[in-house]
Amino acid sequence: MSELFTVGADWQRLPSNAASAKRLGALAINLPLAIAATVGTGLLAEWGWPMWLVAAAGVAWTIWRVVRAGRWTRSFAYLEREQDLLITAGLWNKQFSAVPYGRMLSVEVQSGPIARLWGLASVEIVTASMASNATIPAVTAETAAGLRDRLIAAGEAQALPL
Amino acid sequence: MSVSEPQPSAPADAPARPAERPHPLTPLIRGWVVLLAILIAISKEFLPNGSDDGFRLPPLTWLFGGIALITVAAAAVGFISWRFTHFITDEHELRIDTGMLFRQSQRIAYDKVQGVDVVQPLAARMFGLAEVSIDIGSGARPKVRFLTLSRAHGMRDYLLARAHGVRPAEVITHAETGSLLTGLSGHDQVLVTVPTRTLVVAALTTHELLTAIIGLAIAAGLAAWVGHPWVGLGIAVPAASAIFGLVSSRVLKQFNYTLSRRSSGLRITRGLTTLSSHSLPPRRVQAVQVSQSLLWRRLGLYRVDLEVIGFSISDEQDSDKVSSIMLPAGSLEQARICLDAIWPQSGWEQLTDRLAPSRARWLHPLSGPFLRWGHDGRFVVTRHGWLVRRWQVVPLARAQSLSVHQGPISRRLGLADLRIQTGGHQVMVVAEGLNAAELATELPQLCQLQRARVERDPTVGPAPVSFAELAQAGPEAVRADQAVETISDSE
Repeated sequence: MSELFTVGADWQRLPSNAASAKRLGALAINLPLAIAATVGTGLLAEWGWPMWLVAAAGVAWTIWRVVRAGRWTRSFAYLEREQDLLITAGLWNKQFSAVPYGRMLSVEVQSGPIARLWGLASVEIVTASMASNATIPAVTAETAAGLRDRLIAAGEAQALPL
Repeated sequence: MSVSEPQPSAPADAPARPAERPHPLTPLIRGWVVLLAILIAISKEFLPNGSDDGFRLPPLTWLFGGIALITVAAAAVGFISWRFTHFITDEHELRIDTGMLFRQSQRIAYDKVQGVDVVQPLAARMFGLAEVSIDIGSGARPKVRFLTLSRAHGMRDYLLARAHGVRPAEVITHAETGSLLTGLSGHDQVLVTVPTRTLVVAALTTHELLTAIIGLAIAAGLAAWVGHPWVGLGIAVPAASAIFGLVSSRVLKQFNYTLSRRSSGLRITRGLTTLSSHSLPPRRVQAVQVSQSLLWRRLGLYRVDLEVIGFSISDEQDSDKVSSIMLPAGSLEQARICLDAIWPQSGWEQLTDRLAPSRARWLHPLSGPFLRWGHDGRFVVTRHGWLVRRWQVVPLARAQSLSVHQGPISRRLGLADLRIQTGGHQVMVVAEGLNAAELATELPQLCQLQRARVERDPTVGPAPVSFAELAQAGPEAVRADQAVETISDSE
């Protein structure tokens, strides 16, 4: 409907196994939370019906996240332009952000245990603002390394003091 | 009454000045603070605190003997520390040497100086002394305490001139004595002053105070409902002290607020007990917010807050707390003067020409009619809020990044929010309820933050600076321009 979040053909997408990593990540966070909430409610409500309600909600929420992970990953796209990095993501809450290389303070590449299973890494651009959220959540390790080097080179070339 | 005192034009390899010591009264002032702290501690310890058994004073001779002993010891320590404190304004750096047992030598290169404040705590002010606090961009500020006021001003002017890259031989310091109450002198062109009456009225009607009072009322109601007076007291006492603290800080810290302009830049002077004088470097201002709370609308009062990078980090115990308030309370005219002083010809009021479409009222039922925004390549100006109305001005040259957000309801209505991230976290710049289709066409232009940084810096002046020129001049050119006195506030 709106052209705000349209993604052109030249935009980069996340690799397909990023969805699997996100699914497992969602499971790893959601299941313990759901179990803890269920047991907590069970203790309070003496193992009555509220416990089953919470358990059902927890399971539903986990399934929802696991199912949506694929669509969310496909919605994510980024574009390296000459002077800035554009990122767009989101299904219900759509977000678009533009971060110029000149404002970049550092680039952080991270790879957690789940991401490593698929050989993935996240790339984050750190700016002087806490609110800047420029993270590419999962790309292959080689892409991450290349991206990091290109971003640092561009940042150095275009950096100006604050 | 300005005595010009040219710096000795010494050869480059010789030290420009001999070592200096702080004013001999320094240990007395520091000792006074120690004595005061002891007295407060003792009075807290021994004053009757409601219960009968706690009130037992030790013999008076012991008490006074103890106080005298501690005071003498503090004075001795103070004297020794004064005796071993030297500062030297060298060819390339300011050196501060302290300590007898543990020697410490701080060296501050002039080109690292971001700003210099002259602060007068009450005790120092009674003796006409002042402290020079140097902003080098990090949390801890090197300090020279205490100097005579004229020497402190001279040192500030010298450091600032050197930070701007002026050769030592060219620096001429104006040893001047300003008015005792405001610290201003004939060099200053006064732009804005806030009378005490306005400050008091503003402090009593601010929305922060109203929220505190409403919170207190709710607490009192809860206490009455619970039925135990102690519960109410436990809430009421801290709340009352918080309210008192808020009002007194707004009045005492901002007392005699004056914004003035002089050759070295903008300067803000304020404070009743502690007079602080510091200047405001327009280059470091990231964003400005003008706000008006519910009651202030009747009174026609506005407040101006600044986002200055690095200033939101405050260190309370080191009295380095930096205020982000540029104008505590003033008329619209005064708010305009403040903004014009930082960014001349910003035209921020004319810029808010886009009204939010009327369908935005579904999502923003209360603030809908007030929502506006606008931009012109250099600035983005937004207007939002209901109980507290806010105007936010951010130069694109200072934006760290920008983002567009759209939730499910916004998408149905064809709306979107624009957020601009700046350094720091005092002012969150957001434009709500924008026409999504309109924004989509303008987004490519707004996204050119890097070009805005290079070509459209509002503090650089009307002549556009080309990227090649800047690159040639190197970062020093920009940094020297940056090194102006900073705005800060201490008590």
